[in-house]
Amino acid sequence: MALIEVDHLTFAYDTRPVLEEVTLAVAPGEKLAILGGNGSGKSTLAQWIAGWLPRGTFAASAGGVNIEGRPWDELDDATRAGTVQFVGQVPMQQLSGFAFTVRDEIAFGPGNLQLPEAEIRARVDAAVAACNLSHLLERDPFSLSGGEQQRLSIAAALAMRPRALVLDEPTGNFDPESRDALLAQMAKLPAELAIVWCDVTLGVPLAVAQRFVLLDAGRIAYDGDAAGLLAHPRTAEIFGLPAVAEAALMLRAQGLWPEGAAISADAGQVAAVLRPMLAEAAR
Amino acid sequence: MAVAHPSGADHALLFVPGQSVMHRLNPLTKLTCVLWVAVAAFALPPQGTIPLALVAIATGIFAGAGKVFARRLILTLVPLSLALFVVHGILVDHAGDRTVILGLDLSHDGLAYMVRILGRIAALLSGSLLFVCTTHPARLLKALDAHRFPPGMAYVIASPLLLLEPFTQRARAIREAQMARGLNLEGSFLARAKAFPALLMPLVTLALADIDHRAQVLDGRGFRAMPHRTVLDAPRDSTAQRVARWVILISIPFLIAGGILWH
Amino acid sequence: MKLDTKSLVLMAVAIVINVVVGQIAVWIKLPLYVDAVGTVLVGILAGPFAGALTGLLTNLIWGLISDPVAAAFFPVSLAIGLLAGLLARAGWFKSIGMTIAAGVVIAIVSTIVAVPIIVYMFGGVTGAGTDFATAYLLAVGQELVQSVAIANLVQNLADKILTCLIAWVIVKRLPLRFTSGFAFYGHSKA
Repeated sequence: MALIEVDHLTFAYDTRPVLEEVTLAVAPGEKLAILGGNGSGKSTLAQWIAGWLPRGTFAASAGGVNIEGRPWDELDDATRAGTVQFVGQVPMQQLSGFAFTVRDEIAFGPGNLQLPEAEIRARVDAAVAACNLSHLLERDPFSLSGGEQQRLSIAAALAMRPRALVLDEPTGNFDPESRDALLAQMAKLPAELAIVWCDVTLGVPLAVAQRFVLLDAGRIAYDGDAAGLLAHPRTAEIFGLPAVAEAALMLRAQGLWPEGAAISADAGQVAAVLRPMLAEAAR
Repeated sequence: MAVAHPSGADHALLFVPGQSVMHRLNPLTKLTCVLWVAVAAFALPPQGTIPLALVAIATGIFAGAGKVFARRLILTLVPLSLALFVVHGILVDHAGDRTVILGLDLSHDGLAYMVRILGRIAALLSGSLLFVCTTHPARLLKALDAHRFPPGMAYVIASPLLLLEPFTQRARAIREAQMARGLNLEGSFLARAKAFPALLMPLVTLALADIDHRAQVLDGRGFRAMPHRTVLDAPRDSTAQRVARWVILISIPFLIAGGILWH
Repeated sequence: MKLDTKSLVLMAVAIVINVVVGQIAVWIKLPLYVDAVGTVLVGILAGPFAGALTGLLTNLIWGLISDPVAAAFFPVSLAIGLLAGLLARAGWFKSIGMTIAAGVVIAIVSTIVAVPIIVYMFGGVTGAGTDFATAYLLAVGQELVQSVAIANLVQNLADKILTCLIAWVIVKRLPLRFTSGFAFYGHSKA
C-alpha cells in the first residue's frame, strides 16, 4: 500500500484553484521530486503531503490525502509527527523558537512526545551524526548561518523518526557549497525514508530523486523518470532550454551520458539520447 | 549551560555566565528567594531593606555580576533619588520639622520617606537582578518544564527572548535602508514622527508574515501533543533545596507579620 | 483556557513587536513609549485573555532583558491587553474614530492602574520624564496623587491613542489569508 496517497485533490485558498485534480502516490522509501515554476502550486502540494493542510478554514474542494488509507485528520498529533516531517524554504522559519541550543532544538520534538530520556538522547545523537552538527551543539539556533539552520531543521525532523521527509525548496537560498553539503548529507539518509523534494530548478532534484512530477498551474503535467521529464515540452518552457541542457550535462558528469554524444539544446534530442541510457542504467 | 562566549539570544540578556553557587542553584529556589525579597521590600523598614539590598549586591558581586549590578543600580537609583529628593524633600507638604540647608527648605519626614522608597527599590532591584544575572532563561524554562509547567506558557517566554536579537537586527537593517533613502532621524519632530511608520510597518509586516508557518512547525513536531514534555539536562534539584523552598514560602506570612509589628 | 498554537505564536511575536517598536520610538526620539502595539494587536486578533497574557509576559521579559523594575508595572500591561480584547469584542476597532475612542479608554484605565503603583511603590516618581510634570503640578499646589495622575494621563492619552491607531492600521492591512485564521477578529470587521 502507498504510504501517502493524494487522491483527486482540488484546493483553493480563496476562489482561484491552486491544485486541480492532483493524484499522486508516494511509496515507502521512494525518492520523489515535485518540480514546477513559481506559482505552480508545488509548495501547497508539499503542505498537503506533509499534513499541514487542511487546517482552519482551508479545506479541499474535492478529494484529499490519505496516509496508508486513512485521512490526515483521523490521525492523532503524535502519529502525524512520526509519519511525515516538513522542511520549508526559509531556514529561520523552521526553528521551533523554544530551544536555546542546537541540541535542545533537535530534542524538542521527541521531548514533546514524552519519550524516555535515553531514547531522546539516542535520537539526537543519530540526527546530529547524519547532519554533521556535532561542532554546533551548544550554539543558539538563531545565530547559525542559513545553511547550518537548514541542516538543523532536517536534523530536528529526523529526530521525529518520520517515514517520509518533505522538503520545499530547501536549497533555495544557498550558495553552491552549502547546497553540495546538504546533498551529500541527503545521500546518507536511511533507505527506508521516503523523500519528497520540491524545487523550481532541475539540477539539484536530479541528484536526489528517481521519480519526477512536473506540476503546471496546479495540474500534474508529467510523472515519470528523468529522461521523460527532460523530454517533456513543458519542462523546456518552464525551466528554459539552457536549464534542460545543463541537467543533461549533469547526467553526463554522473556517467549517465554517452561519450561523444553532443549536448543539444533541443529537448527532444536530449531525451532520445537519454532514454535508452537510463533504461540500461536501471537494469 | 555555561556559555563561555554569549552569542545570539544571550546578547540581549542581563545574564552573566558563571559557575558560582548562585548559578548552580535550582532556578525555582532562586525564584522563591525573589518572591521573599519582594515581600520583604514592602514589609520591612529601611533598617531591613537596605542591609537586604547590600547582601544581594555582595552576592551578585561574588557571582561575577558586579558590572551589571553597578550599571542597573545607578541607572535606576540616581534619577529616582533626584526625583524623590525634589518631590518629597522639597515639594510635598509632609508634616513635621523642616530644616533649611543651602537655601533649600527640606522636610525631615520627606527625606525619611525618600530613604524608605530607595531602600525598597534597591532591595527589589538587587534581589531580582541576582536571579536574572545568574539564571539563563533556558535553565529557568527547563526547571519549569521539569516541574510540569504548561509548555505553551514556556514557549511564550522562550520564543520572544530568542527572536529579539534577529528582529532587532532586522530593525537596524530597515533603519539603515531608510536612512540611505534620505530618512532623517535627527530632523525636526515632524520629520521624525513621519519616519516612524516607515521604520515600523515593514518590520511588523515581516514579523506577522510567518506566524502561520511557525505554528505549523510547532504542531508538526508534536508540540503539546502530550500534556508535559521530557526535559534533557534539567537543572539539578535536591532535598535540601526543596526543603529550603518550603521554609522560605512558610516564612513569608511571618515576614509580613514581623514587618507590621516593627512599624 | 487553552490557546491554539497559532495564538501562542502570535503572542510571542507580539512581545517582540512591543520591544522592538518601543526601541524604534527611542531611535526617533519620540517622547512616548509606544511599547504596547503588539499587546493591542493580540487583543484585537485573539481576544482579551491572550491580550492580557501578552501584556503580562512582555513586562516579565523586560525584567529579564533590561530592567527588573519594569516587571513591577505588569498590571498596567495586563490591563491594556485585557481592555483591547474586550473593546475589540464590543466592536470598537471597526472604524478609525472608534479606535481613537478605544485609545482614550485604554489610556484612562491604564493610568488608573499605574497611579497606585507609582505612588505607593515608588513614592510618586519613576525616574522618567513625567516626574518633571509631577514636580511642576506639586509646585503649583496639587496633591501628590493628583499630580502623578494628571502627569501620567496626559502622556498616556497620546501614547495609547497612537498605539491603538498603529495596531488598527496594521490589522486593516493584513491579508485575508492571515486574519481568517483568527476567528476573534470577526468582531473588528467593519
